[in-house]
Amino acid sequence: MITVAPEVSAQSDSLKLDLANLTPEQTALEIKNLDLYYGDKQALTDVSMKIPKGQVTAFIGPSGCGKSTLLRCINRMNDLVDICRIEGEILLQGQNIYDKSVDVAALRRNVGMVFQRPNPFPKSIYENVVYGLRLQGIKDKRKLDEVVEKSLRGAALWEEVKDRLHDSAFGLSGGQQQRLVIARSIAIEPEVLLLDEPTSALDPISTLVIEELINDLKNKYTVVIVTHNMQQAARVSDQTAFMYMGELIEYADTNTLFTTPAKKQTEDYITGRYG
Amino acid sequence: MKQWFKSGSPWIWMTGGAVSISLISVIGLLALIAGRGLGYFWPAEVTEFKIERGAQSDTVIGEIYDREFVPVSRLKDAGVDLGNFQGEEVERLLIKTGNREYVDLDFRWILTTDIKSQSNPADLAVLERSKNGNFYGYVVDVEKDGVMLIDNKRTELAELVERAVSYNDEALDLQNGPIGHINYELERLRLKEKALALKEQLTNEIAADFEAQREAYRQEYLVLEKELFALRKKAKRDAVIIKDMRGELVRVPLYQVLDVTFPNDMGIFSKLGHYFKQLGKFLSDDPREANTEGGVFPAIFGTVFMVMLMAVIVTPFGVIAAIYLHEYAAKNSITKMIRIAVINLAGVPSIVYGVFGLGFFVYMLGGSIDQLFYPEAAPSPTFGTPGVLWSALTLAILTLPVVIVSTEEGLSRIPSSVRQGSLALGATKAETIWRIIVPMASPAIMTGLILAVARAAGEVAPLMLVGVVKMAPTLPVDMNFPFVHLDRKFMHLGFHIYDVGFQSPNVEAARPLVYATAFLLVTVIVALNITAIAIRNHLREKFRSLEH
Repeated sequence: MITVAPEVSAQSDSLKLDLANLTPEQTALEIKNLDLYYGDKQALTDVSMKIPKGQVTAFIGPSGCGKSTLLRCINRMNDLVDICRIEGEILLQGQNIYDKSVDVAALRRNVGMVFQRPNPFPKSIYENVVYGLRLQGIKDKRKLDEVVEKSLRGAALWEEVKDRLHDSAFGLSGGQQQRLVIARSIAIEPEVLLLDEPTSALDPISTLVIEELINDLKNKYTVVIVTHNMQQAARVSDQTAFMYMGELIEYADTNTLFTTPAKKQTEDYITGRYG
Repeated sequence: MKQWFKSGSPWIWMTGGAVSISLISVIGLLALIAGRGLGYFWPAEVTEFKIERGAQSDTVIGEIYDREFVPVSRLKDAGVDLGNFQGEEVERLLIKTGNREYVDLDFRWILTTDIKSQSNPADLAVLERSKNGNFYGYVVDVEKDGVMLIDNKRTELAELVERAVSYNDEALDLQNGPIGHINYELERLRLKEKALALKEQLTNEIAADFEAQREAYRQEYLVLEKELFALRKKAKRDAVIIKDMRGELVRVPLYQVLDVTFPNDMGIFSKLGHYFKQLGKFLSDDPREANTEGGVFPAIFGTVFMVMLMAVIVTPFGVIAAIYLHEYAAKNSITKMIRIAVINLAGVPSIVYGVFGLGFFVYMLGGSIDQLFYPEAAPSPTFGTPGVLWSALTLAILTLPVVIVSTEEGLSRIPSSVRQGSLALGATKAETIWRIIVPMASPAIMTGLILAVARAAGEVAPLMLVGVVKMAPTLPVDMNFPFVHLDRKFMHLGFHIYDVGFQSPNVEAARPLVYATAFLLVTVIVALNITAIAIRNHLREKFRSLEH
């Protein structure tokens, strides 16, 4: 039970954005009146928000509130669910990703995703990182080597694995595997990186490493993170969206949301009254 | 008692007992066929019996093959005079006397009560012959190049037999190698010429060219033929004079003799040496005398070749079908019905597949191929007749359900997080399947293949309709272009067992061969399976899944 609002990083104070009126240059993603149904059941109701570029945005809320569902809409992972139906728009660089002309594979190259549990492929560390590049048909050994080093450094994993790049990825610890998955995602240089509770299966030390990594990542990528852990949201994010029962209740910069929430529901949640 | 039931130990006893019974039956079965089959190659002692019944006396020389007890009453009913023998049962021996062309039966029952004396003389010889089975008797004289030898008969005889065998081998190599090649090429020339004639492109020039080629082959053939005859003549020079059990002298030409042994004079080590030599011959030689003698190499080769061909056909088909069913097909009742139908296909009796193979593959498919591509060979069929390709295809259909079912199981075991991980990196569904899913499912695919191979290697019934023969003159793979002849018929260990055991003229002589071949078939299947299991374990290690 959390009774006190968590401490908020000082960083976000300096970067206060007017979230409701972001300019197109500042916007990475715009979600417009999004409704999502699983069969007859509505899972998201009229969600609209703008996610700013080069910042970390966190989705928080109790289990089943639709935060993961919303995240998976951004790279159309929900397409895999047969009974899922979506209305509304998500604009990436001004283009609706649900438009018929959109190539889903190309979209996913632009919007990387890291899942709750580490899911490395049954290949070597090296092959895991270059998987996305090989899909694009890149064969040049020098280029691949370069990307592997850069991505693993970017994911703060290089020093630990540089001597065993060709060993199986399953030999790594859970935290290392999760960083490998992040390295694999940033190897293809997406614009947006989606993190779906990336530390929920990890121990506290690995969690700390990943959180530091997220802080570094936002310099290059727009990061959207779903988390159960409010302290984590407070520590790593610049903006936080609170969702409840498929609706976006409150969306503000992290500092404001945690210290002076505008809505009663938000306050109840962050002070631990439910959820 | 009630307490005991509640404690659960009856269940442990029951389940453990079931396992023990299964184990005992499997081990018993293997031990029986191994013992019966492998014992055949051990050089048996040759015994000389002096028999006397009433006023008649006789000498019988041979190996003791079997023994059994017969009720005295039955013998009396049959009119056998047992003298003043007292007792309920009398023992009788089955003696393998060999010398098939000189006696009525080469197996003979004798009653132990009739035996006056028996001995195992060290100078009794066993001649293994290429015709008419074994010959037993005393070596009297050895004829070398038409001259009788005076001394050192035994050592000289061994050398002469070796010489004759090597001449025979050379002659056989010549016949199967170069001469066989010439015949094959002549046949190809004939077909080529006929094909041109059918297309009406055969000009006089081309015809003359063909004739010239033929003439060249004929000349070559004449040279080889001369060589062959010379070898045969050389092999025919020597002979051995043997006194058989009737007391008569018989001249056995050495070109018919494969081996001479004096089993009563052998130590344990020379017996062991002989044993492994015979075992090696069994594995590497061609069968002789309607398959009841000699080796089974063509059958081993045929079985392994056909099973491998089947594996090559069934794996891609099964895997692709399973991928469609699991990954692409809509999850509705039609897919469910297809799946049930596939599973039930495994229950169709195999002979039905044989009938289907004969009707569809051999007559329809093979017949059409012949019409389209081999019109020059008509009316003799090329593919329109049972052959190794059709056998492999028929068995591939037979084992398809097994591969599909286990591949599907493997696909469903792959965690969805891995698929999503691949898709999230911009892979399409097809890329995900080929780069991630199929490699990860490969241990399951191998499991399917292991089951398929085990089933296919033991299947005989359908093969009798679509390609197996009692005696195939050539292997499906040889040195003649195009080296692999999928249209040829082949021999199979399973069918060989049936043929030797039930279709041979001399069932008694063939019985140990049935066991030996059965044991060999089991060994071949086990070897194929172990190979596949080793590959699977390697793959498993490689794609150890994310269960931690």
